[in-house]
Amino acid sequence: MSSNRNLKQEINEKLMDETLRGSLNRFAEAYPIARAKAYENVDDIDSLRNSVRDMKIATVENLEKIADQFEEQVTKRGGKVFRAKDGDALKEYLFNLCKEKGVKRIAKSKSMATEEIHLNHFLEEKGLHVKETDLGEWIISIAGHKPSHMVMPAIHLDRNQVAKYFSQELNKDIEPDIAYMVQEARIALRDEFLQADMGITGANFGIAENGATGLVTNEGNARLVATLPPIQVVIIGYEKLIPTIKDAVPILRTLPRNATGQLMTSYMSMISGAAPALVKKDGQWVEQEKELHVILFDNGRLKAAKDDKLKQIYQCVRCASCLNVCPVYTLVGGHVYGHIYAGGIGAILTALLNSMDDFKQINEMCIGCRRCTEICPGKIDIPGLIEYLRAKSVEQDGLPFGVKAVFENVLANRKVFHNLLRLASIGQKPFTTGRVIRHLPLFFAGLAADRSLPAVADKPFRDRVKKVTKKIDKPVKRVAFFSGCNIDFIFPETGESVYKVLQDLNMEVVFPEDQSCCGKPVLGMGDHETARKIAKQNIIAFEEAKADYIMFACPTCAETWHLTYVELFKDDPEWSKRVEKLVHNVREFTSFVAGEYDKIGRLNKTTGGQKVTYHDSCHMKRGLNVHTEPRQLLESAPGYDFVEMKDCDKCCGMAGAFGVKYTELSMPILKKKIDNIKDSGAEVIAVACPACMMQIQGGLDKQAPNVKIKHVAEIIAEQIKD
Amino acid sequence: MKKVSNNWKQAFPPESVGTEFFEEFAMRAQNVAAKVFRVKTAAEAQSVIVEIIKSCDAKKVVATPEVVSPLELPTILKSMNLNLYTEQSDIRTHADTSDVGIACVEFGIAETGSVCEDSLAIEQRLITTLPPISIVVMNSANVVPTIAAAFETISKVFDHGYISFITGPSRTSDIERVLTIGVHGPSQLVIIAIDEEIREV
Ligand code: SF4
Ligand code: SF4
Repeated sequence: MSSNRNLKQEINEKLMDETLRGSLNRFAEAYPIARAKAYENVDDIDSLRNSVRDMKIATVENLEKIADQFEEQVTKRGGKVFRAKDGDALKEYLFNLCKEKGVKRIAKSKSMATEEIHLNHFLEEKGLHVKETDLGEWIISIAGHKPSHMVMPAIHLDRNQVAKYFSQELNKDIEPDIAYMVQEARIALRDEFLQADMGITGANFGIAENGATGLVTNEGNARLVATLPPIQVVIIGYEKLIPTIKDAVPILRTLPRNATGQLMTSYMSMISGAAPALVKKDGQWVEQEKELHVILFDNGRLKAAKDDKLKQIYQCVRCASCLNVCPVYTLVGGHVYGHIYAGGIGAILTALLNSMDDFKQINEMCIGCRRCTEICPGKIDIPGLIEYLRAKSVEQDGLPFGVKAVFENVLANRKVFHNLLRLASIGQKPFTTGRVIRHLPLFFAGLAADRSLPAVADKPFRDRVKKVTKKIDKPVKRVAFFSGCNIDFIFPETGESVYKVLQDLNMEVVFPEDQSCCGKPVLGMGDHETARKIAKQNIIAFEEAKADYIMFACPTCAETWHLTYVELFKDDPEWSKRVEKLVHNVREFTSFVAGEYDKIGRLNKTTGGQKVTYHDSCHMKRGLNVHTEPRQLLESAPGYDFVEMKDCDKCCGMAGAFGVKYTELSMPILKKKIDNIKDSGAEVIAVACPACMMQIQGGLDKQAPNVKIKHVAEIIAEQIKD
Repeated sequence: MKKVSNNWKQAFPPESVGTEFFEEFAMRAQNVAAKVFRVKTAAEAQSVIVEIIKSCDAKKVVATPEVVSPLELPTILKSMNLNLYTEQSDIRTHADTSDVGIACVEFGIAETGSVCEDSLAIEQRLITTLPPISIVVMNSANVVPTIAAAFETISKVFDHGYISFITGPSRTSDIERVLTIGVHGPSQLVIIAIDEEIREV
């Protein structure tokens, strides 16, 4: 891939590709239903996913031993094992093998590992006849495309396009009739199996206990590739190894269900050792043992296994379900990810197995919504790993100069930062258009050069604190409020509501003046050094507040405190201790208030009034696991009638650098959200996250001006008499 | 004929095998477009096979030695004007152009509607992969409830060789995600489950 890609242009091309958009749209709608149906006869999906994760973690911890055992068992059963450290080593081994055995024709079944190193291209250049036999892989190979999905490589093409490629390849007119085309492919490829001198397959798992490799397929091509040719080559990445035969169970119970909504694929084959094959000798078919070569493929995998975080990629079973639910992937498809692996996991695999440079260009294609982590069979923290890799690359190569300067000189210095925000409030007047930016400070990172300014409030919350603070006699608790930039400078009214509600519960609320941005935008850009500085300022400010609780009405800030601060200081015993002490007191506003209201009998359902619906923020639902509590509060708010909307927990489309840089992607995601809000018939859309509030408000302005947006805090504050 | 195990029966987890799982197995196999026949005797199985062969007007049939003698295939197919191949090299030569393949499988799995095949013998694999109609014969008491129980069984016998699950006919959704049956493998999978034991252990 060229290093000077114009990613924005590529994205725009994909957004204009009606075929792609239509197909991905239909798929995104159909997939979750199919998957849910496939899991109907699984009692406890979560514990099943845990068993995938735990088994894989245990494997990677013992990888060397397990690889040795695998090798030994294959060898014992008549196979040869070659450990290929990279693509060149693999190619050399394979080409030598072909030369030595006089191989001319090769039939392949799907193997992503071979695509990773463009093996077919290499072999063809060497004059060998190589055919992909998986229908989708065959289609893209004759089209000269890269796979756009790990399981459905040709999902970007429609029947007419496929018919065109078929006609070219088969030298005859092929009608765009799917069943007919499939039959034509069957006929065209049959001879490939029957005549091949060598079969190359990938593997879905490799069992150390008996050296077996497992193949999970639907078409039956892998069975033929593994059965007919006298020489069999299996190419298997280290991440596919599992210790025992029984360890295949959790993989086989999740992979088909997640990948295609099937309880099991049509074929699952496990081959241990050299199986019998028939070869023609003097006009007679004679049985002999196959020649079996198993290539254990490294290409960056072993290095990843040694990294505490990155070893999570070993938990991946390559089901591609993370793509199927990803709001970015389902908009643009797989090709913009550059290399052959698509989606969030694709970005990670590209970084580890291909190149960090390629990763750098695409790493912002994740909005951190975590829909993928919710369904991944191996429970991989995909957005977390992307952030981690980004931080690594920043550590290595630094941030672009301007960005770094802004982070260090502005964000790390609260006073300068806040003064700038105040200036923005004055300066913005002629430009305010209602469009605003999620993580406010990004504006200063020079990423928003050609955009309207965020609508900064006239008077930040910190200047209103005095007015809203009430003296509470004998408070039951002392609460320190962390507003975050968005509430402080854009939605100060939300802060006022938080005060009102908590004070009404007889709590004393304080606002530590020295608090600053939580650091998320800086973290999002991978600058851990500045993030640590910012975190320390906040920690000091809240230690001094000596409160029982630290209250958040922004889930992103809460999460950053709760998880990331701990992570940031894990190698610093002193600060680590200080953080631990504080995070203990972190509370998210809606869940906290729902708990308190429940205790005093205020959580009773009411009916009638304005229709209100609720949008689950990604960080709230999948980060903090809070989703019932805000609904309880809305259901019990007099004057409101709660209704659900479709896809209530789908991302609103604007997150950090992504939403700012890739408006073209963020806007279609937002439009879907607004459509669902309108369809619900709600007059009010409630949110519990100020960042979502900003994004959705921008969309409502244009597309549904009659619908009002409110933070849950405001809705419950309305119920309280002054 | 080579097998991973000549006695799969002793490997079933005693608590988790039996006809009580057959109904769920059959339902799920049918959900993925397999045809399922449950019969009491070998004789009834023979008539099912004859019916299928008649209805598709098969001219060439390949069958594994394992299924040929207990079901007396040469005898029952004799009058039908077709060629039956049961020797290894004949199977290799003719499986690709045969209309029907007949073989035994070891057990069914209720959770997924799959059958488990002992695929070590090359003739077994040729017969269940190449012809468009695949008939597999099993004992109706050999059904395990779950994938876990299936692997309980497999892990006892699987030292080396080749074992497969077959779940419905060959399929693809690679063009426009439209489900299409019969790509490289069979377009029809017929499961005949017999209550009486037809194979000697
Ligand atoms: S976190 Fe969201 S945007 Fe990122 S890869 Fe996962 S699904 Fe896609
Ligand atoms: S990361 Fe998880 S969801 Fe994505 S392909 Fe791998 S296993 Fe499947």
